[in-house]
Amino acid sequence: MNLANPAETANRVQEKPRDPGKAAKYTLIGLGVAFILIMLVLPLITVCVYALKQGWDVFSQAITDPYAIKALRLTLLATVVAVVCNTFFGLFASWAISKFHFRGKQFLTTLIDIPFAISPIIAGLVFILVFGRIGWAYDFLQTYDIKVVFAVPGIILATIFVTFPFVARELIPLMQAQGNDEEEAAALMGAKWWTIYRKVTLPHIKWGLLYGVILCTARALGEFGAVSVVSGHLRGKTNTLPLHIEILFNEFQLTAAFAVSSILVVTAIIILILRNIVEFKGRKEEGEHVR
Amino acid sequence: MYVELKDVNKKFKGFRALDDVSFSIDKGKLVGLLGPSGSGKTTILRTLAGLVHPDSGDIFIDGKRVNDVPASKRGIGFVFQNYALFRYMTVFDNVAFGLTVEKKDKKFIKQRVNELIGLVGLEGLQDRYPHQLSGGQRQRVAFARALAPNPHLLLLDEPFAAIDAKIRKELRLWLRETINSLGITSIFVTHDQDEAVEVADEIVIVNGGRIEQKGNPADIYKSPATPFAARFIGESLVLDRHETLHGFETYSGYDRAVIRPELIQIAKHGKQPILHASEDGIVEDVFFRGSLIEVHVNVKGMRLIGHRSPEEDPLLPGEKVSVLIYRLYLYNEDKVHLAENVRLKDENTVFI
Amino acid sequence: MGQAKWVSSRHSRKKNRVIPGFGLSMGITISMLSLIVLIPLLSIFVVLSGVGPADFWKAISDPQAIAAYRVSLICALAAALVNALFGTILAWILVRYRFPGRRILDGLIELPFALPTAVAGIALTTLYSDNGWIGKLLAGIGIKVAYTPIGITIALIFIGIPFVVRAIQPVLEKLDGQYEEAATMLGASGWQTFRRVVFPEIRPALLTGFGLAFARGLGEYGSVIFIAGNIPYETQIVPLIIMSKLEQFNYGAATSIALIMIVFSFLTLFAINFIQSRLNHAAKGAE
Repeated sequence: MNLANPAETANRVQEKPRDPGKAAKYTLIGLGVAFILIMLVLPLITVCVYALKQGWDVFSQAITDPYAIKALRLTLLATVVAVVCNTFFGLFASWAISKFHFRGKQFLTTLIDIPFAISPIIAGLVFILVFGRIGWAYDFLQTYDIKVVFAVPGIILATIFVTFPFVARELIPLMQAQGNDEEEAAALMGAKWWTIYRKVTLPHIKWGLLYGVILCTARALGEFGAVSVVSGHLRGKTNTLPLHIEILFNEFQLTAAFAVSSILVVTAIIILILRNIVEFKGRKEEGEHVR
Repeated sequence: MYVELKDVNKKFKGFRALDDVSFSIDKGKLVGLLGPSGSGKTTILRTLAGLVHPDSGDIFIDGKRVNDVPASKRGIGFVFQNYALFRYMTVFDNVAFGLTVEKKDKKFIKQRVNELIGLVGLEGLQDRYPHQLSGGQRQRVAFARALAPNPHLLLLDEPFAAIDAKIRKELRLWLRETINSLGITSIFVTHDQDEAVEVADEIVIVNGGRIEQKGNPADIYKSPATPFAARFIGESLVLDRHETLHGFETYSGYDRAVIRPELIQIAKHGKQPILHASEDGIVEDVFFRGSLIEVHVNVKGMRLIGHRSPEEDPLLPGEKVSVLIYRLYLYNEDKVHLAENVRLKDENTVFI
Repeated sequence: MGQAKWVSSRHSRKKNRVIPGFGLSMGITISMLSLIVLIPLLSIFVVLSGVGPADFWKAISDPQAIAAYRVSLICALAAALVNALFGTILAWILVRYRFPGRRILDGLIELPFALPTAVAGIALTTLYSDNGWIGKLLAGIGIKVAYTPIGITIALIFIGIPFVVRAIQPVLEKLDGQYEEAATMLGASGWQTFRRVVFPEIRPALLTGFGLAFARGLGEYGSVIFIAGNIPYETQIVPLIIMSKLEQFNYGAATSIALIMIVFSFLTLFAINFIQSRLNHAAKGAE
């Protein structure tokens, strides 16, 4: 249409040089920034303001409350176990999936992704169905007097479940993109598996591994739904920090709830910063060594 | 026979990559596996290395059947197509890797690595990482790394493919000299006939998963065993009505003919001394190729390509010329026959 | 003899995989996956096999559950649509424009992944309740957010935004600016260029992001329950129904509804994969 009338097009371009582009640019930036401010930043500010609303003493009392400390301990325990377990899994699963050809590879990858696809409530539910009173493992556990559901092991299992794919998902695409040449070369020279993994593969994936660990940590620290189902809400025994916050909030102890939340907000911000640093370093190093 | 393949077959998902491949190589030879892409030449190399396992057939190295010997125990040095250098290791660590894996003494490793770095001419670059090297330097590192554990057999997969055309020639000579001075039996894969001819003592031509011919470059050039070999080695054109050409009327019963520029002489019209053996043709195109002039001539509706020296009188498109054809390679399905221009022989007898 | 040869070469292929560690890594992968994910998941079917079809039907067609399906679907859909719009805008400005604070904005996108959902939940509830900062303003013009489906939608927008932005961003980064320049040279306006040239390129990624945000929204619990207020037939979401059935020790009903949810999330992901492969196919055909 415009081609048919080049003179008119030229005119229009001269009339308003780049003006509509600039207007669009600032409108879009304005919309985007407003969205982030209202949807993401404002909740953060809310947490901080409410946490300190009744002064520093109330704040410090809330976060040094024995129940809060116990909840923090349990959260850290579950997080550490989940991260270690899922990193271990991620290292082996990514090796099996990215370095070999076998039938059903796609299917296996899909299975690993399942915890991402289902609701955390269902993740909690399945452990009740296995270890709870109606579970098929219940009698066995009773015999040896082991408690899983409504106890610490259940919390840990649920946390592992919901964060299961994180490390593997980061590593698999990275290792696939890297190809098998270097590993083949090393194997041809007689290197053992662990040597190849440590000396040849790991340097390629170390930032991705760290990235996966960070994401896994973030999710494990904050997991609520799955843990809520298996916890039984036993204060001081099976409460993680998010569950403790829920109880405080429902008891209308707003300041205490937000004070405890502020710990997690600070952690979240640290995680975000670490995430960005790791991503930046990873990209930079990859750029260097690839070319 | 130092290396020998016997009736080796390999299928990839129904695709026949190797079809009864058999050939053998003498100790100390530098052999080029030459063929178009997808011909199976890389599969042969990887089968020898133990990176691919044949469906059937036997592989012998130094008299031992190695089918069941794992890749790392075959005593083979392998230079990968893109070198597969360890990107997060220095040049020194790359070269040392094979020796470290064998848990060799530290002092020995240092000495051996430095010796090899000297051999490939990379002194002073020990602490660089692969990304800080040029393509040619990377190839030298890959070469040194493959040689470090003292292999009996060196395999190189398209060793020059990732290198700029400019320094490729120089590297070819270097590689040939170095391998010859080490005396190590070596096999390399290439799709470039110039490269094969220039570097190899012996060429194995591979096509469609089968061995077409094995021999030294000059022999293959002079007497190609199969139509494919005739067409693949040297610059060549296929003619479909060779029996209409002067001097070749008596050669019948062949399907096609292959002709090469070296077998044709193109002269200004009438300036051809052996006129009754030549053909008339019309110049179609003239290309300046640096050291020679490439002339395309139409003879009886067939396009022939010949070379002339830039020193001779220039030819122009549309000009009438005399074309003398010395020889043709005639072939059937699987037979090749070298045909001399009959009238040329008659002429000789007359002169004598 | 041929047979024996074949067997031996098969055997040697297994033994001679060039890169080592297949058996060990595969063994660990399969056993951990089975112990932690697959076997617990299968117990859903074990329990369901003990629930009669009548009870199953009763549980999943309970009016309260049906209301919850509706609330979950509508809110997740609305939130995913809002996120598709703002996610595209955000990805666009992050990739194409340079402005102060861009890097911080970029870093903030992932906040919903890093912030525990319960914290987000109580913060949003406080913010949007009648005496909260935003809730007060909206109450002034007669809009109630907390304890209504609008509140649920807002929580799901919070949770879903990174999925869309992070899906589109890499595609936009890779998209060659030359296409747009070519379109502009041909006289297309900025909007025309976006709609005709850029949008078709990012459509598959947008769809993926939309689908992930939607699927996440269906299953989300932590950020929603506080702001939802748990009013039967009005603001109960499906995960909450499952939770309350569990609290009543009605495992059969909880598991039945859970199965419906699982089926639905898999259908969603499957539909996205399907549409995406169709789109990819179409794009390849056009090339």
